[in-house]
This record gives sequence, structure tokens and C-alpha cells, in this order.
Amino acid sequence: MQLDIRTKLFIAAIFSVLALVYQNPIMLAIVLVLNLLALILFRMPFNIFFGFRKFIYMYVILIIIQSLFVKSGEPLIQLGNTYLLTTDGIFYGISIILRFLILAGSGLILFNCNTSELLLALVKLRIPYEIVFMIQVGIRFIPQFTNELQNIFNGIQLRGVDLRKVYKRKVIRVYISIFTPLIYSVWQKAEKLSILLELRGFRKFPTRTYYREIFLKKIDYVVISFVLIITVAIVYTGSIL
Amino acid sequence: MVFISLQGVSYAYNGRKEAAVKNISLSIGQAEKIAITGLNGSGKSTLAKLILGLLKPQNGKIILDGRPVGKYSLVGVGEKLGYVLQNPSQMLFNTSVYNEIAFGLKWRGKSKNEVHYLCKRYLDLFDLWDLRYEMPFNLSDGQKQLVAISAVLALQPSYLILDEPTKSIDTFRKKKLKDILQEIWRRGTGIMVISHDTELITGFEGRRIHMSKGEVVEDAVRYTD
Ligand SMILES: Nc1ncnc2c1ncn2[C@@H]1O[C@H](COP(=O)(O)OP(=O)(O)OP(=O)(O)O)[C@@H](O)[C@H]1O
Ligand SMILES: [Mg+2]
Repeated sequence: MQLDIRTKLFIAAIFSVLALVYQNPIMLAIVLVLNLLALILFRMPFNIFFGFRKFIYMYVILIIIQSLFVKSGEPLIQLGNTYLLTTDGIFYGISIILRFLILAGSGLILFNCNTSELLLALVKLRIPYEIVFMIQVGIRFIPQFTNELQNIFNGIQLRGVDLRKVYKRKVIRVYISIFTPLIYSVWQKAEKLSILLELRGFRKFPTRTYYREIFLKKIDYVVISFVLIITVAIVYTGSIL
Repeated sequence: MVFISLQGVSYAYNGRKEAAVKNISLSIGQAEKIAITGLNGSGKSTLAKLILGLLKPQNGKIILDGRPVGKYSLVGVGEKLGYVLQNPSQMLFNTSVYNEIAFGLKWRGKSKNEVHYLCKRYLDLFDLWDLRYEMPFNLSDGQKQLVAISAVLALQPSYLILDEPTKSIDTFRKKKLKDILQEIWRRGTGIMVISHDTELITGFEGRRIHMSKGEVVEDAVRYTD
């Protein structure tokens, strides 16, 4: 399905809001299932979800922390006066996990959309171009910075520093070696970029034309209405549950 | 004796249909002097990164000094090979030119006196000693390049790989670099120079490998030009 980017933004926003509004794991689970369905419908790479298996131990820790600090609920495991595991702890822990998965899933809805379309959508949504431009620069430079960081890491190791074997006291020195040049080069790039922008007439004229255009098609209106109906249905069920 | 050996090595970057390096087989001796030439995008830098193990080939094997390169840590590779990146400013990460040279030496456990001696010697090669307290990022492009080269030379690797070492260097220092490379080669260091700088390559006796579209199209030993 070839949807307008704004439709996708809308759907991602709805899922995110639902994830933040609901506490109840049952409601969150329903939202998550719908989210997965949406990902399948849009043919998004939702198998990334299985990558989250690696964080299982973190989830367990989350549940324990919730149990330690949420004083309500029935204690399941107790050590003296401290509750190690409570029903409410599990309850809130699971809510947090589900929320996290839904937020990740909403992000994935936007995963393989073209960045320039995404930016154009933001412009069409009346977000000031200056802000959109900043986002654009950010997106554009992320791969370059990771690349640069990787190069510095490689350089350090090729010159004889085994990062796994560095002693604790020296670790700080090594990290200073890594981040000083990185920050410096970011600074230099920002400076160069601002000069280049001036030279090419950035914001010299009040309006700007766009090479690409995006349109909402019939299918977009249908999908948005459909999503709205489902959302209302969810909110309604949530209120009687 | 074969020092670096590539057997049917191919590599395609993520998301690219065309492979950057296609089915390359090469044997390189430890003391061999090689110039790799080719047009922009012909896969020269990719080949160097494969040899260093920075990229993992999708096909084929790369053996460095008797062991697959994938079995080495980067530190291990660094002990066998000295490498100057095509973009040397990405190799500078210290707060002064002096420390840039001293960095690898200190980590290799050289004494203070030795470090000082080697720093002086290698910074003097390209008249950089007076700049020793400067921030490497504030140097001119050519100076950065020379600092990066000196830092690698100071480690006295047994094999040296230089990717476009003369890109922003003036004619005088280019000549100097050429002489230095010749000199360390005479003393037994193998050298691989990736370059399309005719000034450097002309009169560069030894093996010449020419690449085109990821393949080796010429591999011959030349004595004169
Ligand atoms: N990080 C990268 N991601 C994707 N493709 C790349 C990347 N680096 C290089 N390439 C592509 O791989 C091919 C070979 O690049 P390589 O850098 O090896 O060329 P080169 O011979 O070193 O060129 P030059 O003389 O310009 O340095 C090119 O087509 C290039 O576009
Ligand atoms: Mg190159």
C-alpha cells in the first residue's frame, strides 16, 4: 500500500498516544497487536521485534525494580520487610515493556520512508522550515558521525590500544582521545555548513519551492478514517474495562 | 614468502548492487613494494580496508602472515601493518601534534626517552617539529596528512599501506616522502601505495597493480617508466 507519509505519521502518532495513555496491560496488549498488524499491512520489517529478545534480562530487572518501589499489590516473594516481587510490580513492569514495544513499533511504521518525504510532510504540517532544516541536517549527519567515530576507534586500535584491555584509570584518557576530536570536528562542520548556507543564499527569500510534491490520495483518507474508527473503539472498550 | 594473500575476494557495500571489489586474488611478499592505481571508485581503498580486516569480505579468504585476517584483533593487525587512511584527518585524535606521534609509541611500552627521540626524529622528517604543541585539527590539510603519515612511520611497521598519501602535499615534501619510502623499503619494510599521483608513481620501481571497476586488470613488475 502506497500511503502518504502524513498518513503514516498520523498512525504512528495515534499508536504512541495510546501507548502513553493506557496503564492497563490488556489494553496495551491490544494496541500492540494492532500495531503489529499495521506493520504487517505496510510490509514493514517487523522482524526487528525479535531482536528485543536480547533485552529480556532487562525486562526482568524492570519488573523487580517496579516491585521494590510499587508498594501496592500482593507480595509474591518477600524478604523480611522488603517485597521482591509483587502482583502490581509485575503489572506495571509488563505495562512498561508493552509500552516500549508499541513505541518502537510506531517508530518502525516510519522506518523505510524516504527522509526527504518525511521532511516535506513536516513542512506541509506547517512546521517552520528552519526547524525542519535542523532535523534534516541532524538526520543527514548521523551516519557520518558514526562513521567518523568508527574510524577513530579503528585508528586507536590499529595504533596499539586494545580497548578491551585498557585499565580503568586510563579508560578516561582513551575516551577523551575519542571524543575531543569528534566534538571538534562536529564544531568545524557546523561552522563550515553555516558559511556554505550563507553562500548559497539560505533564507534569503521568504518562500521556497519544493522539487517533490506529496498528495493525500483517496486511500489515505480511507485509512485515516479507518484508524480513527478503530481508535474510538479501543478508547470505548478501554473505558468500560 | 607470502605475507598477504587474497583468494577470490569479493566485497559489496551494504545496499549496493555492484561489488566494489570483485573476485581478487593476490599474493604479496613481506618486503614487496607495490603501487596500486586505478580511477576514482575502482575499489582501491576498499581493497586496503579488506586487507586490514576493517571490512569482512562476502566471498573469498584473506590471509595475513599465515592466519586469516578475521582471526586477528585490530591491535594484532596494527602490529603487522601500518595504515594511513585516505582521509588522514580522521586518524588524528590527540590534543597535540607531539602526542599524536607519541600515542602509539607509549601504548607499545616505549620508555619516555625513546618516545621523545622517535617523536623528534619523525617530526623532523617533514619539518613538523615546530608545530609540536599545535592542535592537529588546526593544521592545514597537507600538514594533517604529514602528521598522520609520520605517526604511522614512527611505529616502524613491517608493512606499510598508504592510501593516497600525497593528496594535499606540496611538490617538495612529495619528493621527500618518495625518498623516505624508498629508504625504508631498502631497509626491508614492504610498502603498498595507493595513488593516482603520477609524480609519486613515476619512477616507483616495483610491482604495479591497476584496478578497474573492482577488478585487477594489470599486475606487473616495472623497473623503469
Ligand atoms: N562506505 C561506502 N558505502 C557504500 N559504497 C561505498 C562506500 N565506500 C565506497 N563505496 C563504493 O565502492 C566503490 C569503490 O570505492 P573505493 O573507495 O574503494 O574507491 P577508490 O578506488 O579508493 O577511489 P578513490 O580513487 O576515489 O579513492 C565506489 O563505487 C564507491 O562508491
Ligand atoms: Mg580511495
